Amino acid sequence: MPEPLKINKKERKLAIDPKMADVCFTCGTCAGGCPVTGVDGLDPRKAIRMAALGLDDELIESRWPWICTLCGRCENQCPMGVSLMKTFRRARTLRDRDKVPGPIHKGTMMNLERGNNLGIPKEDFLMLLAEVGEELAQEECPGFYVPVDKKGANVITTINSKEPFGEPDDMKFWWKIFYAAKEDWTVSSVNWEGVNWGLFSGDDEAWKTQVGRVLENARRLECKTLLLPE
Amino acid sequence: MIEYIQSGRVKIDKTKHPQLTTAHDPCNYTRKSQMAMGKSYHEEIRWITKQCVDNFVDMYPSGMNNYCCGAGGGAWAMPYAQERIFYGRVKAKQIQETGAELVIAPCHNCRDQIMKSLTKEYQLGIETMYLWELLAESLIIEPWSEEEIEAARAARDAQFERDGIVLEDMEDMEEEE
Repeated sequence: MPEPLKINKKERKLAIDPKMADVCFTCGTCAGGCPVTGVDGLDPRKAIRMAALGLDDELIESRWPWICTLCGRCENQCPMGVSLMKTFRRARTLRDRDKVPGPIHKGTMMNLERGNNLGIPKEDFLMLLAEVGEELAQEECPGFYVPVDKKGANVITTINSKEPFGEPDDMKFWWKIFYAAKEDWTVSSVNWEGVNWGLFSGDDEAWKTQVGRVLENARRLECKTLLLPE
Repeated sequence: MIEYIQSGRVKIDKTKHPQLTTAHDPCNYTRKSQMAMGKSYHEEIRWITKQCVDNFVDMYPSGMNNYCCGAGGGAWAMPYAQERIFYGRVKAKQIQETGAELVIAPCHNCRDQIMKSLTKEYQLGIETMYLWELLAESLIIEPWSEEEIEAARAARDAQFERDGIVLEDMEDMEEEE
């Protein structure tokens, strides 16, 4: 016989809402509407029951919180208002950092250290903006260039590091719009990353630091509007 | 983008995208915006799309109840590709059922999942564009005036000098002169 579970409230890690076990009616609305119900034998309802029953460690170690995309469909439809998505994200937070799957933790650390998830050096970034900008000027937008660190610009925009890294031409879409609208805009030469992997890896501190940096850029350059084209 | 279109600051040619078009609602623009800021932006996605195309069809369900593309929450970067593709089968079916040839994805993750993964895995035969890509590719771009170009070039040169940027073809041009 397996040992009966003992629920020790003081040792609970995941129970954001202490009444969760009673609040959930186990109706299965969450599981019925989730595209990954059944993967690894789990679904949102089972996962939330694990949290309610004190199987915190089992849930934290499972793949579930990472197979789930935190889309929030379950939480949005839950008739009892159970914080499903927030609980699953909390399970991500509680995962040992060296066991976070994929590159998102490493990218977060890279971002804290070098200002973007992929560690693109400042000189390379500025050179690329200049080159791709010149290309666009010659192709169809005469006079175009990418204003960097322009104080008092109306709009400051972040950039998704995958674009300078592997898809630089995709940066031209927004640039064409700015050109056509004759927008007064700029990009920061530092901490320009628009992707916040701390949000996904469950790292609240890093998440906050990165948001702070984006705001700091806007304040330093006295820009009125912040554009996050994500 | 809405401001630019409404104020007439940008001009659009709708004939550039005559094909039947649908739009994907990213979780971050709908449910998560609703939870965090009290507003879902699905109407804005449709409004902008419909300024650029005449032939629009919605997926079902959409808006606040839309299905995730399967790559959200960092899943695009996770090592669980098989599960991510399995997740996306619902989105793929939704897209297929609209009969659309063009899907607008207003999010980087969703666009990569639909364009680089689902299209191939489920043989969707569709084209995928960012929302801002659709607008950029629909624009009627009027070149700036000579004065505006001159002013921009002066500002560019000052910036390049400050940042130590020397472009190769510009050097060539100067040498030719």
